[in-house]
Amino acid sequence: MSAVVEQPGAPVAQPTVHRASFGSLLRSEAHRFRSRRFIQLLLVLAVVGWVVSTVIGLLNYGTPDDGDLADAQARLDEIVAEQQVFYEECLEDANVPDDTTPEEWCGPAPTADNFGGPEAFLDKAPFDFGEAGTSGALGVAALAAALAVAIGATWIGAEWSSRTIVALLFWVPRRLQVMAAKLTVLVAAAALFGVLTQAAWLATAGIWEALVGGPDALPENFWSALLQTQGRGVLLVVLAAVLAFGLTNVVRNTGAALGIAFVYTAIVENILRALRPHWEPWLLTSNALGLVQQGGYTITYWNDGPIGPDGNPPEYYLGPLQAGVYLGLVAVVLAAVGAVLFAKRDLH
Amino acid sequence: MPAVQLTAVSKSYRRRGRPPQKALDNLDLLVESGGVHGFLGPNGSGKTTTIRVLLGLVSADPGGGEIRLLDQPVPDGLPDVIGSVGALVETPLFFPGLSGRLNLQLLAEAAGVSKARVEECLELVDLSGRADDRFKGYSLGMKQRLGIAAALLKAPRLLILDEPSNGLDPAGIRDVRELIRRLGRDGHTTVLLSSHLLAEIQQVCDSVSILARGRCVASGPVGEVLASRGSGDVLVQIADPAAAAAVLQGAGFSVSPADGALMVHSVAAPSDITRVLAGSGLYLEELRRVTPDLESAFLAITGDQPHDGPAAPGIPA
Repeated sequence: MSAVVEQPGAPVAQPTVHRASFGSLLRSEAHRFRSRRFIQLLLVLAVVGWVVSTVIGLLNYGTPDDGDLADAQARLDEIVAEQQVFYEECLEDANVPDDTTPEEWCGPAPTADNFGGPEAFLDKAPFDFGEAGTSGALGVAALAAALAVAIGATWIGAEWSSRTIVALLFWVPRRLQVMAAKLTVLVAAAALFGVLTQAAWLATAGIWEALVGGPDALPENFWSALLQTQGRGVLLVVLAAVLAFGLTNVVRNTGAALGIAFVYTAIVENILRALRPHWEPWLLTSNALGLVQQGGYTITYWNDGPIGPDGNPPEYYLGPLQAGVYLGLVAVVLAAVGAVLFAKRDLH
Repeated sequence: MPAVQLTAVSKSYRRRGRPPQKALDNLDLLVESGGVHGFLGPNGSGKTTTIRVLLGLVSADPGGGEIRLLDQPVPDGLPDVIGSVGALVETPLFFPGLSGRLNLQLLAEAAGVSKARVEECLELVDLSGRADDRFKGYSLGMKQRLGIAAALLKAPRLLILDEPSNGLDPAGIRDVRELIRRLGRDGHTTVLLSSHLLAEIQQVCDSVSILARGRCVASGPVGEVLASRGSGDVLVQIADPAAAAAVLQGAGFSVSPADGALMVHSVAAPSDITRVLAGSGLYLEELRRVTPDLESAFLAITGDQPHDGPAAPGIPA
C-alpha cells in the first residue's frame, strides 16, 4: 500500500452525501445479475442445449417419400391383420363367460388407428407442429421452471453465503427496499428467461417444420392455444423463481433450500399421492401442470373414493386460473415471510 | 455536533436453553466530530456489537436508550445519513466470484457514486493492478484493503473501521495508519477506529473510549485517559542516587532503585522532591512523571479480564 504514502493528497476526497435511490439500487442489482458466472454459464449451456436438441430433432424427424409411406402402410396392414386373427380367435373362444357377449369380452375390432396410423411405422416420421406445439411448450416450461428454481435460489443464496447482503445495508439501510430490488430484478429476469425459452421452442419448431415437417395444416385456433400455453409457461417460470427465492431467503442457504425442494418434489409429493390422493390438488407440481397444460389437469382418484353413477372414478378438475392463483399465493407468502424475517432479524 | 452518541443503550442476545447474554449494558458513548477516535476493549466487550447497532444491523433492546449517528436517530434516521458513513466491520464482505473492481462498482452504482471514485479508491489502497482479479483469489491483506476502499467510496463524514489492520503486512499497517491519520486531520472526516493494536491506537487516535463488559469504562483525549491511570510515580536522575534515596526516605517518600536512577512512588507534588533534595544539597539532573502507555492503562482499566468469550455463540463482540 505504498501508494498511500507516495500519493498522499489526491484520493482523500471531500465528504459528500450519496443517496441511494431505488432506481440506482435496481441498476446495481441488474448489473450484478448479468455479471454472475452462474447466469452466464446457464445461458451458454442453454444455447448449447438448444442447438443440440434442434440437431437431434432434425436427425430423428424426416420427410418420407411415397416409398417410405408405402412401406409403413404395409407394415401397419401386416400388424392389423395379425391382430385381426387374434381377435377372431377370441370371438370364437369357448371360455367367454356366460353373462357377456364375445364382442364385449374381446372389445372392438382392431383398426389402423389403434396403432397410430402409418406414421407410427415410419423410420423417420415428419414433425407435426400442430400436434406437438402445445405439448412442446409445456415441456419447455417445465424445464425452464426447474432452471428458474436454481436461478432464484442461487440469486439470494449467494448473498447469504458471502454475507454481501449485510454489506449492502451499509449503503442502503432500508432492508425491505433491498429485498424488493432483488425480487424485482429476479422477476424481470425470470420472465425474460421464460420468454426466451418459449421463443427458442418456437424457433426449434419452426426449423423442424420447415425442414422435416409434415404436410398437415395447423388445426383451428392452434396459435391461440399455443400462445396461451406459452404465456402460462412464462408465468410458471416466474413463480418457480420467486418460490425458490423465498424459500432460500427463509433458510438462508442455497444447498438447504434446493435439498428441501428436491425432497418435496421427489419424495413428499409421491408419498402424498399414494397415501392421500385427495390432497393432490394442493401439491405444487400438480398445480404447475394444471397451470400450463392446455385445458388444465384433471385428477382421477383411481384408488380412492366411490365409483360414480356413470361407472367412472371420481375426478377433480384443476384449471389454470385456480392453479395459478394457488401457486402465486404460495410464492407470495414464502417471499413475504423471507422478507419480513430479513427486516426483523439481527444481522451479523 | 457529536458524530456518534449512544445513551443508555443495552443489547442482549437470546441463547437457546441459557439466560440472555448481555453484550451492551447501558452503554454511554460520545464521539465528537473530527479527528480519530479509538475504540478499545477486550474480546467480547461489545465493540463490534456497538458498531452493528450504530449501522442498524442489530437492534438495541427496547426501552430508554438513544442512538444518534451524525445527529440522526438510529435506526429511523439512518437512511438520511448512511450516505455520509463508510464502514468496514470485521471481515470484508464481497462476492467471491466477481473482481475487486466490479464489487466496488456494484456498491458505487447502488449509491450513485461515480466510477472515477472507484478508481481513486482502488489507487488509494494500491489495488489498481489487481482490481480485475477475482475477490476469492485475493490474499487476506488484499481483501482487507478492498474493504477499506469500499468504506472510503462514499468519501464519508464518518468512517467506521473495525480492525482495519487485520491481515495486513507491516507496510500495509503503516500505510493504513497514515491514511487514517490523514483523514482524521482533514477537518471533514471523523474516524471511529476499533482495534486491538493498542500501540496503533495510541499513535493514531486523538481520543479514545474503552469498553469492558458492554460498558464504557473510560473515555476522553488519549493523554487524559493515560494521565487518569497514572500511578504518581516520578523518575529521578541524580548524580548520587544512594544519598538521594536516603534523604527522600528520611522525608517519608517511598523510593526504589530504577536502572541507575530512583523511582519515587505515589508522589502528589513532584516539586516536594526538588525541595527536599535541594535542602540537603543534592541537585537533580532530571525529574519526570512516569505516565503509563495505553496498554498499561487498558489493562488497568479493564482489569485484564476478558469478557467471558464471545457475546453469544457465533456473535461477535
